[in-house]
Amino acid sequence: MLALAGVAMLLNSCGKYLDRKPLSTTLTDLGSGSGTFDAKALGLYSALRNSGGFSTLPWLDFNSIRDEDAQKGSSISDGAEINAEFETFQYTKNDWATNTYWGDHFNMIQLANEIIHDADSVKPSDAGSLRNVGEACFFRAYAYFELVKAYGETFLPLENFYYTNPNQQVVPNAQSGQIWALIDSDLNVASAYLPLTWATPTGNTNLGRLTSGAANTLWAQTFLWRGQWARVIGLCNQVINSGQYKLDPSFVDIWKDGMNGAGKCGPESIWELVNYVGPNQSPWIGTQWGTSQNVRQGGASVDWNLGWGWNVPTQVLVNAWDSTDPRRNETILFSGRYDGGTATGGYGNTLPVYNPGTVLDQPYWNKKVYSDPQMRQFTGQIGSSGGADWIDHRILRYADVLLMLAEASNESGDGATAEAMLNMVRARARGGADSTVVLPHEAYTTQAQMRTYIKNERRWEFAMEGYQFYDLVRWGDAPAVLGSLGYQPKNALYPIPQPIIDQFLGKLTQNPAYP
Amino acid sequence: MKLTFVIMLVGILQVSANVNGQAKVSLNLNHVEISKALNTIEKQGTYRFLYNSRLSEIGKRVSISVTDDNIDNVLQRMFDGTALTYKLLDNNLIVIRSSVLTFQDIKITGRVTGENNEPLSGVSITVKGTSTGTSTDNGGNFTLTAPENGRLVITYIGYDPQEVAINNQPVINVKLVQSKRTMDEVVVIGYGQASKRDLTGSIVKIDGKEIADKPNTNPVASLQSKVAGLYVVNNGTPGQAPDIRIRGTGSIASIAPLYVVDGVFTYDISYVNPNDIESMEVLKDPSSLAIFGNQGANGVIIITTKRAKAGQSTISFSTSTGVKQLVNKIKLANASQFNTLFAEENANNGITNTGYLSVPDLQNNTDWINAVTRKGIQSANNISIANSSENNKFNLSLGYTLDQGIILKEQLERVTATINDEAKINRWLKVGVNFTAMRENLPYDATGELNSAREIMPQVSAKTKRFLVPDLYGSDTIAQNLYSTTDPAIQNSGVQNPLLDIYSRYNTNIDLLYRYVGSVYFEVNFLKHFTFRSAVYGDFSNESHRQYSPLYYGYDPVQDAPVVLNAATKVVQGLTDTKNTQTDNILTYKNSFGNHNLTVIGGATTYAHSISYNQEWVNLPTSSSPPIPDDSRFWSPGAWPYSQVSNDPNQTFSYYSQPNWTAGFFGRALYNYDQKYYLNASIRRDGSSDFLPANRWGNYWTIGAAWELTRENFMAGQKFFDFLKVKGSAGTLGDQAVPSGVYYPAYPGVVSNGQTVWPLPNQQGYGGAGFITNNSYGKAYYSNPNLHWETVHQYEFGVEAEAFQRRLHFEATYFNRKTFGAMGLYPISGLNQLENLVDIQNTGQEFSATWNQPITKDWNITVSGNITFVQNKVLGFDDPSFTYIDATSQNNGEQDSRTIKGQPIGEFFGYVVKGVYQSYAQILASPVETSLGTVRPGDLMYADIAGGAKGGGDSVIDSKDRTYIGNPSPKFTYGASVNVNYKAFSLSVDIGGVWGNKIFRAWGSLEAPYVRSNYAAFQLDAWHGPGTSNWTPLLSTADRVNYVGSTYSIENGSYARIRNLQIAYTVPQKVFSKTSAVKALRVYINAQNLITWKNNSGYTPEFGGFQQYSATQSGNTLGGAAVTFPPSPLQFGIDQGGGAIPRIISGGINVTF
Repeated sequence: MLALAGVAMLLNSCGKYLDRKPLSTTLTDLGSGSGTFDAKALGLYSALRNSGGFSTLPWLDFNSIRDEDAQKGSSISDGAEINAEFETFQYTKNDWATNTYWGDHFNMIQLANEIIHDADSVKPSDAGSLRNVGEACFFRAYAYFELVKAYGETFLPLENFYYTNPNQQVVPNAQSGQIWALIDSDLNVASAYLPLTWATPTGNTNLGRLTSGAANTLWAQTFLWRGQWARVIGLCNQVINSGQYKLDPSFVDIWKDGMNGAGKCGPESIWELVNYVGPNQSPWIGTQWGTSQNVRQGGASVDWNLGWGWNVPTQVLVNAWDSTDPRRNETILFSGRYDGGTATGGYGNTLPVYNPGTVLDQPYWNKKVYSDPQMRQFTGQIGSSGGADWIDHRILRYADVLLMLAEASNESGDGATAEAMLNMVRARARGGADSTVVLPHEAYTTQAQMRTYIKNERRWEFAMEGYQFYDLVRWGDAPAVLGSLGYQPKNALYPIPQPIIDQFLGKLTQNPAYP
Repeated sequence: MKLTFVIMLVGILQVSANVNGQAKVSLNLNHVEISKALNTIEKQGTYRFLYNSRLSEIGKRVSISVTDDNIDNVLQRMFDGTALTYKLLDNNLIVIRSSVLTFQDIKITGRVTGENNEPLSGVSITVKGTSTGTSTDNGGNFTLTAPENGRLVITYIGYDPQEVAINNQPVINVKLVQSKRTMDEVVVIGYGQASKRDLTGSIVKIDGKEIADKPNTNPVASLQSKVAGLYVVNNGTPGQAPDIRIRGTGSIASIAPLYVVDGVFTYDISYVNPNDIESMEVLKDPSSLAIFGNQGANGVIIITTKRAKAGQSTISFSTSTGVKQLVNKIKLANASQFNTLFAEENANNGITNTGYLSVPDLQNNTDWINAVTRKGIQSANNISIANSSENNKFNLSLGYTLDQGIILKEQLERVTATINDEAKINRWLKVGVNFTAMRENLPYDATGELNSAREIMPQVSAKTKRFLVPDLYGSDTIAQNLYSTTDPAIQNSGVQNPLLDIYSRYNTNIDLLYRYVGSVYFEVNFLKHFTFRSAVYGDFSNESHRQYSPLYYGYDPVQDAPVVLNAATKVVQGLTDTKNTQTDNILTYKNSFGNHNLTVIGGATTYAHSISYNQEWVNLPTSSSPPIPDDSRFWSPGAWPYSQVSNDPNQTFSYYSQPNWTAGFFGRALYNYDQKYYLNASIRRDGSSDFLPANRWGNYWTIGAAWELTRENFMAGQKFFDFLKVKGSAGTLGDQAVPSGVYYPAYPGVVSNGQTVWPLPNQQGYGGAGFITNNSYGKAYYSNPNLHWETVHQYEFGVEAEAFQRRLHFEATYFNRKTFGAMGLYPISGLNQLENLVDIQNTGQEFSATWNQPITKDWNITVSGNITFVQNKVLGFDDPSFTYIDATSQNNGEQDSRTIKGQPIGEFFGYVVKGVYQSYAQILASPVETSLGTVRPGDLMYADIAGGAKGGGDSVIDSKDRTYIGNPSPKFTYGASVNVNYKAFSLSVDIGGVWGNKIFRAWGSLEAPYVRSNYAAFQLDAWHGPGTSNWTPLLSTADRVNYVGSTYSIENGSYARIRNLQIAYTVPQKVFSKTSAVKALRVYINAQNLITWKNNSGYTPEFGGFQQYSATQSGNTLGGAAVTFPPSPLQFGIDQGGGAIPRIISGGINVTF
């Protein structure tokens, strides 16, 4: 009887007994009301930092290694497939780098979608939440723009909704124009909602965080890509007139990312991926952006284990570059030579010689990420633990705004503005040198002449930074410049990775140039 | 004896006889015994008499007076009034018999014991053909009065019945042998036990003895190839559980069966000492599984541990020690072959790279597999004390296991202590308690070392070299023996000297697991037919894992200089706390009404599971802080004054605590009519807190029937079958197995999305140290409010038979199992949602047979075998928008297991290799393959099989040409064993294997290009010019066309193995006197995995499910430690260049006092 009573009691209380919630926070607990978006929006920045498709090798593969001035680097037998895939244009549909690039960008779009969806349902009106919405829109546009450049808009799925079920993600290819429309509307929102600066009367505790200047710069880049010059001019002028940015007086200071930190979120920085590595690598809030590109030890002593040595200058770049341009020695680090000391962004050391397989594997290295020895000591990323995870990725910088304005003005027939903008960049690069010898003023003569000037200037100013390949594609120069490496017109676009085609269960179709 | 002798003598005498009953007899006797009278006649010389002197009437006194009379008349007169008769034989011999046998009753005492001389109490002893009988007391003793020439029948549940002739012996001791007649076994079922005869399902019972003396720390590993329908894939890591699948792969999240250890539900039985196991029952069919409700779908293995047997008072000690060794080494290039192949690969890509060839320290030819492996010792030691009196049964056992892996320094130690006691308080109440405590010292994780040994170049030395180096922990300079690093110019990425790794980790890793499992119960008998049992179980475990990173050097072989390989000390501490509590309340009613026999149970159960996990990283605040000393005293947070628990959630602490609860109600009826017709039915209703109320409850049921034909009259005449039963059952089972890490799938879990950092203006440099950090969060997974149980509809039918005087026992079963809504994670872009995804069907046929052949009194042979055929097929997806699930694991290149409608689960998917392109001309003449990358001679040529307008090829080789290239599930699995007993010796051989499955070899074919690995020996055959190879492609990691999943990586997974060979000697009982301390002694030697015949190039043909890590929990994006999922049901049979399964030769001794 007692037992039966027990069972009956159990039956009654069972509903409650099983009505449990997780003993931890759920998204529902955090709510979706105003003021709750910040932590999610910050997650976009850490996703940027933590995704190889934005911050390390796959990004370099797509953006930098494909041009004629940068190559894979590393050791000769390491990453041989990257040579094939990104230097000689034997594109593959299934490899780590390509799958990661696609996946990380798509993931970012989804993270942004979630915030935008929540905002659509809550409709927050406070400035803080709106700024977060602006950040989400910026990130979605940024990810889409990189995907459009890499894969082409009509081979991508249009992802602008939030889903509660994975099968909702299985969508067909975007219609022509849909993704551009999404990018424009997102950047419109971002430009409106993001602050001019995060500075408050008590100081700026969010240096490096997205601003309306960043949104306008990115938007200008997308119009430059589309050849809509008027929009480029308008947006660049907005950035210039905001008064928030200026060219760093010293070109080498842009890259200073060490104890003195002159280049970390410097005056020229419109947006950068900020990293921080503490003593003993604790805390480690870093990326392998710097590590992936620093000098690779090869057969040299462990003191030169600075990184993996990817994305290094080619002989083409070294040969083509006028040696009077100071940026040449500020961008290229030469094996077997003195690093030039502080004047050219060095630290007073002499590199081991180039001798592949025995000493250093590459003759040239990317000096824009050359790691500060004091920082190696400070962070413990030294010796066999060598690396440079503290180095920021300068994603948008003011020099690009000036050169975009120059290009768009020239294309629109405004030679004077083009000449002015171009020579601001040259003057800064010249430093205090004699302008009759070093980077002399380039005056406007014809539109074609100015176009060549601008193309060259972009090449030297942004060397190793990942602009050149897409510039060549945009200008239509890629077949001529890269043809000898194996480039064909279809190589402007990369095939969608096969696992993605597979994941979309046949709804997403492949670029027909890659059957 | 005497009588026989005389009869024989009579036979001989007969031959010489010639005169026959003619002589006359004269007698004059008064009141003499008949025997005396006969004696007098014999003295007259003609006749002789033969009789048993114990004939009672032979002593009767008679008076007789005759003269020269016929012998017939004389005897007739003499025997008148008695039952005596006579017979005159040829040679004047007269046999006298009694026409009525009236033997005397005598008093018999005796003792009944089991095989190990343990007394058996309650054994029933009856005199054959009578109703006289008794039963043994707690000491196994009995006393009985029976006719001197009668026979005793001794029967005891679970033992073979025995008949003994009394032959006038006053003391009869009987040793009973446990029943090998499977159908009469008592088997443990859910919430009770029953005779196998009374059940309609398929339960296989494994005796504890088969497990106890096998060198496996996990008892289930010993079941491989023993049980039809049970597929066990072992692995060689000490303490690691095997991948177990019962009746095919029926789910996609978790396929591990439920274990019920003395009533405790668990999925981890590492705490069970194999020596404590009395029996294991494997439950596979719906009829036995429905009672387990939401946990029954993947099958159940019930483990019953030993109890003191009635009247027993023994101390047993057993010990065994074995040596493990690596067998079937994979074949790799040696140093000169590496040089050749590396040069060949570089030449293929226009590279000259021979830098290492002249380095003095890189002139070795190290066999790295030998360098990291060793002969491991495995030792199991147990002592158990059992004592039983009339009202109390007590059992205590202690076990110590040492299990060394074949990798250097890999060592597991385990101590278990078990105590159980059951007391009969009075006529109606019984109470009991079980308690097991375990302490396990787990090995460092050596699973990657074999693969590291495969990757590193043979040129690197495995020896140490002495260097004078600054003491990393102090300021002086010391001499140290350092191991070499790899050549940084060639193997910079992903490859390391495994010895450096082993020696820096093995003794800085402290992983202690304590587990306490216990229960208390009481059982009340009332109203004659009712029993109520109530039990509370607790299963608590606590694991603390600390990993200290010491400071250490290696030396750079190129520079010939010491290199600091770890410059900062660190401690990571992980604490896992698991608490499970379970209650069972069961009411049993058992009664018979004439020929109707019925057992009914009803009950309720609850289960509460909670796990909490806490991880902390201890760092030093500055690089100049003194390192944490290399002494385990300081390896915890706060133990070193300079250390701090870092506040970076990317690498510091993570914590989770996630409980879930289930509750269920169940009932079952076992009915039979005259043991002829059987009906079993059960039902269960279960709820789980993992699901939202709408989908929370599931109902499970089963019904089964059986018919024992041999009890029918129409079978009475036949002699062939001793036993024949046909049976069938059908039912619905449930599975709630939510992958670990996805607790509360209906709620969107939150995880840290890492930190964001902002520099302070004008202090951006580290000198100013001005940085602000912010935390962020994101979803752990997509919540799924619609998630519900997965249900399994299963039916089976089969036959059980015994024939040839019970020498043959045979069982055959057909089963059909359909899983609906199998739960799985559906991933897109790094996040998962737990979905009711797939419907799967497993059909199969199981056959098992045993033949027992006694040859002579001393010889006995038993041969048994089993074979299981399983056909696995994906029926479709619950959500029609899904068509398949891919599992790709190789981070560079392709390695696909695809699960798609109409195909077996996790089938390998890829291209079919036709050969290797020999020339550009051949490439031009072949279908275009550029979709997969640039193609040159030496690259793999794939078959163009799809894409054409009318089917067939379209002259383009692209993704459409991928197809199903191998099923990782075997077509059948089999096992056989032979047992030969000769006197005190026994030999047993177990053989097992699988047939018809494929293995995906990921090494020597799909290595990541940035990891420069040593070459596989078969790559010596790589294409290096026209005609050199039509199978192995040229060496070049740049040729991505060769790095896609294809038949090049597919190998035949069929194998056969001598799984176990054992020779044992049991010292005969007569050696031990009654007073000797030792009561029984057995010694044996055992060889496990003696020989394997296989077809693949890996260490072993056994590769269980991939240990996948949650995409949501690993990597930097999220705070937590990687959460391990159970072996993946969607991705298995993949050879990643490790997983060796050792051969173990062991010997042991069992002593009973």
